[in-house]
Formats: sequence, structure tokens, C-alpha cells
Amino acid sequence: MQTTDSHLLYKTIRMTLEHRARSLPDTNATPEAIAATWRLMEAQLAPVIGARGLDVLFRRAQHQTVTTFPWLAASVDRGGSTGPLPSLMACLATQHAAAAAEAACALLSTFTELLATLIGESLTERLLAPVWAPPGPSPSEQETAS
Amino acid sequence: MNDKVTIRRLATGVPGLDAVLGGGLPEFSFNLIVGSPGSGKTTLAHQIMFALAAKDRPALFFTVLGEPPLKMLRYQQQFSFFDPRKVTESIRFVNLSDDVSTGNLDQVLARITKEVEASSPGLVFVDSFRSVMLEAGHQSRGEISLQQFIQQLGIHLSGWQATTFLVGEYSADGDPHPVFTVADGLLSLSQRVYRNSMVRQMQVLKMRGQPTRPGMQTFRISSAGIELFPSALVRDDTGAPHEAAGARRTKARLAMGVPGLDDMLGGGLPSGYSMLVAGPSGSGKTILATAFLAEGVRRGEPGIIVAFEQTPSQSRTRTIDDMVRAGQVGLINTRALDLSIDEIVQRLIDLIHRTKATRVVIDSLSGFELAVAPSFREDFRESLFRMVAVLSDLGVTVLMTSELEDRYTDLRFSPYGSAFLTDAIIVERYIEIDSRLRRVLAVVKVRGSAHSDELREFEITDEGMVIGKVVRDYEGLLAGRPTQTATANGVDRAGQR
Repeated sequence: MQTTDSHLLYKTIRMTLEHRARSLPDTNATPEAIAATWRLMEAQLAPVIGARGLDVLFRRAQHQTVTTFPWLAASVDRGGSTGPLPSLMACLATQHAAAAAEAACALLSTFTELLATLIGESLTERLLAPVWAPPGPSPSEQETAS
Repeated sequence: MNDKVTIRRLATGVPGLDAVLGGGLPEFSFNLIVGSPGSGKTTLAHQIMFALAAKDRPALFFTVLGEPPLKMLRYQQQFSFFDPRKVTESIRFVNLSDDVSTGNLDQVLARITKEVEASSPGLVFVDSFRSVMLEAGHQSRGEISLQQFIQQLGIHLSGWQATTFLVGEYSADGDPHPVFTVADGLLSLSQRVYRNSMVRQMQVLKMRGQPTRPGMQTFRISSAGIELFPSALVRDDTGAPHEAAGARRTKARLAMGVPGLDDMLGGGLPSGYSMLVAGPSGSGKTILATAFLAEGVRRGEPGIIVAFEQTPSQSRTRTIDDMVRAGQVGLINTRALDLSIDEIVQRLIDLIHRTKATRVVIDSLSGFELAVAPSFREDFRESLFRMVAVLSDLGVTVLMTSELEDRYTDLRFSPYGSAFLTDAIIVERYIEIDSRLRRVLAVVKVRGSAHSDELREFEITDEGMVIGKVVRDYEGLLAGRPTQTATANGVDRAGQR
């Protein structure tokens, strides 16, 4: 997955969330998929860049995503010790599932892009590869099919 | 039956380091890399890790509070040895900040032990262990002492068959830290700044079970990482021919490429000799050196010139340029002012092996001295001796030029007292005759060989150096004030031919 292609990155994350949501019970499927995806990202990255590095990057991504989704401002955690997930989940719960999924995709895309600007695309791809859903049909194939 | 343990030595992937270590890194050794901030410790650790890590020898790199991991990964990627494909495949980074911040060394040790036992790494790095110590020192909540922590870590990692490196900002000078005694290997890195030059040096203070190269070894950090220039090793002269000299050392004499000069030298310059051509500015030293290389090219004897130009536009003689462009002569040209002689010697040796050169020109020792970092200048003479000895070992024939101010009160051949280092000496001088500046040369020395004792006039023409007749009928030439002898009937003057 190319982190330099924002569109493709967004699409991959969206597919991952949908893939994960499908394997969950209907109720709360989307928020659970978002939480599971973030936990996986955290598990992959925290040993490498440290919990503090992860936290700073996440807050920077939130800061940037808020310009498109102002309501996400409520999710900004002011230094809690439980990590950013609980306040994010609480904030997403106030929105419709579709809007929450869209904001979560944007947030995770921004986070991944930020990471790539710091440690490079190649390393980012390697570290996060286990997070993304098994590759489905590529966007071009999908377009051809439709 | 040989029941002694054989220690496998690992190639570090750092050019020059294996030679300094005495053949590589002992497998399962417990090593410390110490030095001041910015001395290249993390770069060295990463370079070794990326060289050695493989699927069957995975590496664990523990990062502690020191350099933020994000920054470390960002900057280390600038080096060509950083291969992102190895990360996750054979290299795993583990951040220990949370464990270390508790100040409980038991917890840190337990975490390291757990990670090591989970993945059985062949290589373990802790960067930096000083952060571990500082945090433990501040909080002192551990059940075990620092010394015990390091000892237990060393025992555990060796027992788990891991070659280990602890990286830390420690100085190996002064009172040795207790941790130094636990280590099997101790590599100390330093950087010395003197005026405008900065010199990086590494010293292997300890490497159990193998003879390391003593003293400070200079190194550079480039986009390819660290490259070490081991100090030239001078062999004991046992009288036996050196293997390294191989086919290069023969009893032949080399033609100098200047008509008449070979006769003056007693039949050419003996192969494997080092020659010093000394003279004042503009006297024709480089032209003589060029003729020496050009003659080699004509005879199929490859050559190398080590040049020390101070401005890029200052082109060397056309012949040298042409030969270099045609690939007939190798060129080492440097204008850096922070070299060590060992670095030049290393580059020269590499080029000699690559091009199979038999003739080497160093033009000039004066430029060389200027290019050497100020902190090495006090050792210039000693280093020059080592360089000549190493080149002699290789069996190449060396011609060095040396700028020598014309002194008419004493007869000196080299400002470095290096004349005794060389096997042959040609001296060039200016003399004044009839209000004209004329050039003369003489062969001062050819070790173990008869040679001319004449003072010969010479000219520099478009074709090169032309040696004329013996300067007769004058005396006091070397004192700079020649006078005609009573029997004089003229000199073979260039302007009157």
C-alpha cells in the first residue's frame, strides 16, 4: 500500500474497517472495527517508536483531521493515561455509523501519512502491513467491474 | 582430537573494523560501544546490525530514553546500509522507555529477558544503556544493583547465544566504569575538533581472546556509514620476501622516462624503491613525476598519482589529465583538510590492488602535510615512515615530491627529515649564471647502487624534461653564488645553443 497516494491509502483503510466490521456482530460493528484497527496499529508501532511517540503522532493527526471533521475536536484527549482510544470512541459514538467511519478513515490515513513523512514510506508500509485487511480487488479492478 | 572451543568471528560490515578487531567480532560476545554524543555510536550499532541480521540470525534493538526512536529511525535511514526490508523480517525494535522510567532494574531485566526468550535473537542491542543506568540511579527502586544488572544481562544474553552491544555515552578515559570489566569487547569512539578540522577516531580498548590493532584508528561517516582506516601495519623485517609484494617486487630497474636520468641513477630506479624528488617551487618536480608515470604507461606498468591540489581549477599537467582520463593512471585527488595519513594509505592500497599499479607518485609531501588534519601533523614524519614501509611491503615503486626552499647555507633534502626514509633522492635547485635562473639536478642517493655524482643542468621544454651537460667550470653552485673557475671556457648555456 502506497502511503504517498492519499486516495489509495484512504481506500485501503476503509476496506480494512469494512472487512473487520463484517466479522463482528451488527451492533457496534463499525466502532469495534475502528478500535480493533487502532489497537493493531498501536501494537505494531509502540515497540518501535514508543508509547510517547505514538501518542504525539496521534494527537497531531487529530489536530489535522479536525479541520475536515470539526466535531472530532471533542475526541482530543488532554493527557489521559489510558491512551487516545477511549475519548475517540466516545466521540465517534455521538455520530452516525457512516460519518464515524468516514472520520476514522480520515484520521487513520492522516496518522499513517504523518508516520511516513517521519520514518519513510517503506518502513511505514512494513510496520503496518499486518494491520490492513487481506488485499481485495484493486481499485482499478473494481472500477472495471462496475 | 582438538577439544578447544572455536570462536566464530562475525564480519561486522564496517569497512576496516574487522581488521582492527583482529579478524571480526567474536560470536556471543558482550560488547560496549561508548563515546561522546555525536561520535557515531548508534550509527556503528545500526551498521553492524543491518550487516549481520538475517532470518536465521534475527536482531533485537532495544531503544531506551536517549534518542527518540522516531528520530533515530528517521536519521538512520539516510545511510545506505539501512534496509527497510530487514525491519520486521529480521530486525525488531523494542522500546523500553516505560520499563526504564520505573527505575526498577529487575523490571527492565525481566522485560529484556522476556523479549530475548520470545524471539531468540542472534544479536541484541541496547541503546543507550546509560539511560538505563541514569534512570536507575535517580530512582534506585530496584532490588539489584547496576553492576548486578549488567552482569546478569551479560550472562543471560551470552547463555542465550546472542552477540550483544550496549551503547552508551561513556568516556573510556579515567576511572573505568565497573561495567567495562564485565564486557568482552570495548569500543571507544571520539571526535576531536582542532581549529577548523574534525577528526573521528575509534579505539578497541578490549576484545577478549584476539589480538586487536592498538591505538586510535581514524574513521569517517559518509552516506554509506562508517568507514575505518586502520593504522598502517609495519611488518617486522625478517629478511624474507613479503608475500604481499608478490609479483610486483623484482630485481628490475624502472625507467624514469627522462633521457639520461636512468644512467645517472645507475641504470634506472630499482623496483620497489621509494624516491624523493626535492626542489623549490617550479623546479620541475611534477614534470619529472609525470614522466615517470608516462613511462610506466608506455611499458604497461600501471600507475597511480596521489595529488593534493588546493583549487579544483588548477589542472595538473595535460599529460597526467590525459592519462587519468584514459584510465591509464589512477588518481587520488583530495582537497580535504582533515585527512589522516591512514585514510590516504587505505585508499591508496585499495587502488593499488584494484589497478595492479606498480608505480605510485605522491605529489607533493608539502600538499599532503597541508591536507592532513592539524592534530595529525605532529605525527606526520612517523606516519610517513609507516606509509613508505607499507608501500614497500606491497612492492610498488614510489616517487614522492617535496617542496624545498632553496637554502644556500645548508644542504637539506626534505623539510620533514624524511630523506632517510627513502631509498633514492634527486635534488633540484636553481642557480644563477649570467643573471639567468638555471635549473640543475643531482642524484644524491640510490641505496645499494652506484650512481652519478654529477650536477647536471636541465631544461623544461614542451616535450618535458631535458637533461643537459654537467655544469663544469663553476664552483659554489650549491651555495647559490657560482663563480667561474680559472680554467673556464664557457658553460653549456641554454640561451646560447
